[in-house]
Amino acid sequence: MGSGTGLGRVRGLGSARHGSMHWWRQRVTAAGNLFLASWFVVSLLRLPSFEHAAIVGWIASPLVAVALILLTISVFYHLRLGLQVIVEDYVHEEAGKVFFVLLLNFYAVAGAALAIFSILKIAFGGVAA
Amino acid sequence: MAIVAGLAFIWWLAAAATGPEAYSTFLAVATSWFGYLVGIGLTWAFFQHMANGIRHFVMDVGAGFELKTNKLGAMIVMVVPLLITLMIWATILAKLARGAN
Repeated sequence: MGSGTGLGRVRGLGSARHGSMHWWRQRVTAAGNLFLASWFVVSLLRLPSFEHAAIVGWIASPLVAVALILLTISVFYHLRLGLQVIVEDYVHEEAGKVFFVLLLNFYAVAGAALAIFSILKIAFGGVAA
Repeated sequence: MAIVAGLAFIWWLAAAATGPEAYSTFLAVATSWFGYLVGIGLTWAFFQHMANGIRHFVMDVGAGFELKTNKLGAMIVMVVPLLITLMIWATILAKLARGAN
């Protein structure tokens, strides 16, 4: 171990020194998820119906839409950090590791973008209830 | 959970934003036997993850490392998610059976 030489780090050997920030953000998003996802589950259960009109009417209210967007950001950031660790631990080939982390980043960003766009479209009245 | 629940969440929102037909397709799949199987499984996995996460928070601050407390925590993390899953799906199925959907 050790921090290695400058040349070693250029060659991708040794720590990138992002470990503690990764660890901390995992916990920050976990705390965010704890509150937002609990709210989400309880709110869904309290809805009178799961029909389209009821769901769209619920999402359209500003407090719900903003909370859903924050939930999406927190959850997709959290799952991106968590799955990255799984890839780093279990994919041993360097090329495969890069490939799967890249794929994971695309999934997390595209998924969050699609979810947030959908929430905004409903919230801004783009969907006939 | 990160993949299946993530995709289901995106599908639910995108379908709702697309319109009533797309949403009824989602609802039809979600209320099929396969949809219930996945939904119940994900609910259990979600609360298992949440309970373990809370336990991690407690242990991160250095609390609960005594053998008995630690074992109690491990048992709670196994049992409580099952109870919550049972309660949630009893509520949902009762709601659907009443014809509220």
